[in-house]
Amino acid sequence: MRHILFLVKQHFKRKKFRTCVLLCSIIVACATLFLALVLSRGIQSTIATTQERLGADIVVVPRDARIEAQAALISGDPTSFYMPASIEEKVGNVPGVQQTCTQVYLRSLDSPCCIAPIAMVGFDPAKDFTIVPWVLKQLRNPLRENMIIIGAKVISAVVGTPTKAIGQRLNFMGKPFTVATILEPTGLGADYTVFLPMDTAYRLTQNTPLYPTPVKKDQISTVLVKVAKGANPETVAQDIQRTVPDVATFTVSQLAKSVGQHLQSLVHALMIAGSVFCVLAILLSGTLFSLSVRQRMREFGLFRAMGANRGFISRLIVLESAIIAGLGGLAGVGAGIGITWLCEDAILETIGNLYTWPSNAYFAIVGAVIVATSLATGILGGGIPARRILKYDPYEAIRQGNT
Amino acid sequence: MVHVSEVSKIYKGHVVLNNIDLTIEDKSFVILTGRSGGGKTTLLSVIGGLTKPDKGSVIIDDVDIWQLSEPALAELRNRKLGFVFQFPSLLPTLNLLDNVLLPIALGGRTPCIEDKEYAESLLEMVNLSDTLHLYPSQISGGQQRRVAIARSLINHPSIILTDEPTGDLDERTEAEIMHLFHTVNEDGKTVIMVTHALDYLKYGQAFTLKNGRISSYDAQEVSANSVSL
Repeated sequence: MRHILFLVKQHFKRKKFRTCVLLCSIIVACATLFLALVLSRGIQSTIATTQERLGADIVVVPRDARIEAQAALISGDPTSFYMPASIEEKVGNVPGVQQTCTQVYLRSLDSPCCIAPIAMVGFDPAKDFTIVPWVLKQLRNPLRENMIIIGAKVISAVVGTPTKAIGQRLNFMGKPFTVATILEPTGLGADYTVFLPMDTAYRLTQNTPLYPTPVKKDQISTVLVKVAKGANPETVAQDIQRTVPDVATFTVSQLAKSVGQHLQSLVHALMIAGSVFCVLAILLSGTLFSLSVRQRMREFGLFRAMGANRGFISRLIVLESAIIAGLGGLAGVGAGIGITWLCEDAILETIGNLYTWPSNAYFAIVGAVIVATSLATGILGGGIPARRILKYDPYEAIRQGNT
Repeated sequence: MVHVSEVSKIYKGHVVLNNIDLTIEDKSFVILTGRSGGGKTTLLSVIGGLTKPDKGSVIIDDVDIWQLSEPALAELRNRKLGFVFQFPSLLPTLNLLDNVLLPIALGGRTPCIEDKEYAESLLEMVNLSDTLHLYPSQISGGQQRRVAIARSLINHPSIILTDEPTGDLDERTEAEIMHLFHTVNEDGKTVIMVTHALDYLKYGQAFTLKNGRISSYDAQEVSANSVSL
């Protein structure tokens, strides 16, 4: 094997340009495929977990704020819309509704507090079933007035460094708050949202230029609904819309669908780009491997004249192509990981706040599959033309290689 | 001893070798000559195990080489035969010493110190002892041919087969190369050479190939038939 490796090294030295072209095309294809698989997986899992993470079955909002409310829930865009608090009771009376809670959205957030837009949402810690269950284990004491629960990406949006900092003091709307706990990433707007007790939220809107008309205690932004066991959320949502005036509803599955529509086209585009690059790389490397073997027919004929048998030549050719394809695959996956790491912010900016990175295990599996596929392509790319030229007698190979 | 018996070869409907019988004694110097397309190179490659004949046998040291398996035939080429071609056949990325050692690697062995010393002595024999670490592009065509001769000897073969080894060389270099083959032959190797260089018929026994048939060389007949030189 050592002498075969020696000859392989000599060949790479002799054909530097061709080797580089082959390596680069494989690297580009593998990196693109890696990115396509990782990003689309993240997007798909974001879509799948939207429903799970939201915590409620139905969201009730003011009739003319439906789109705004969806945007706020999906991407955390700071927004504000209000309806009377009495709506909650009316919603609670609709058959099929098991539990309700309310939230109030504050438009804090054009203030120079933050690097990225942050939404502030007041919630009722006593009744809430969307946030509290997530943090119940972490919150040993009840949420005090000056304490906030923040989304997973709030700290990095506020201070620019992605650190977890329970107990850190942050200023919002001129008031200092202490971080009580940090939510797990959701891939939704909640990641960029500050949650605070509703009373505190109301007080924050007093005497601030952001709220010339302060939000009153009888105003809420959303009613979150949990439906009774066996009830169909779609039907209950329709009933709410029919019986409660001036409200719009959307179910969590509709929200998930909306997230899906937003991102599905991106998934398709990524997969198409990845597949096209892959096919092109396979064609290019197959052609170059094949051409290279064909061009070296005389050399291989001479090797056989000097005593190399078919197995030796076959191993030599396959090893060359496998080394290029394997190294290209490894470098491509490395480049893909590097790009995801270096361009994380740009990717999130392109895809939106919704994105949740797949697990490290998924990264490892995708990387291994891509390297294995690349290696297999190299082995076939070298093996098939090798088989073809080894059918010739050595002299015929020398003669054909001379023409 | 090489014994060629009733060997025939047809290429694309054209009879290149027609029932060739030829016996080559050990340590002899055999020249195959004749017109282009007469079958000389094909006969050489059939004897060297490079082209399978359609019919007949080639027996080298009591072994019918065309009955051997592919790996066994490759091993025979590696150990018993040495080839020198007309065209450049050195690997450009290997220095001259490594080029000479190449057949050892191709035979599946890693060259040892003794092999390297022998390779150096062969390069010394062909007057290239000062150029061991030069690359083929740094030496002349005639010197490359001499390296190829040294390479053909590295595995101590008993037979050297060479196809027009001086075809593209000037007269002086041709004489040097032919003298080298003569020396190799005098050292006890069988040399089978395809050549048009009839000035060197004195070195051994010559045969003419014409229309796929072989006959002992007849200077007058060849002259009358205008053998191309």
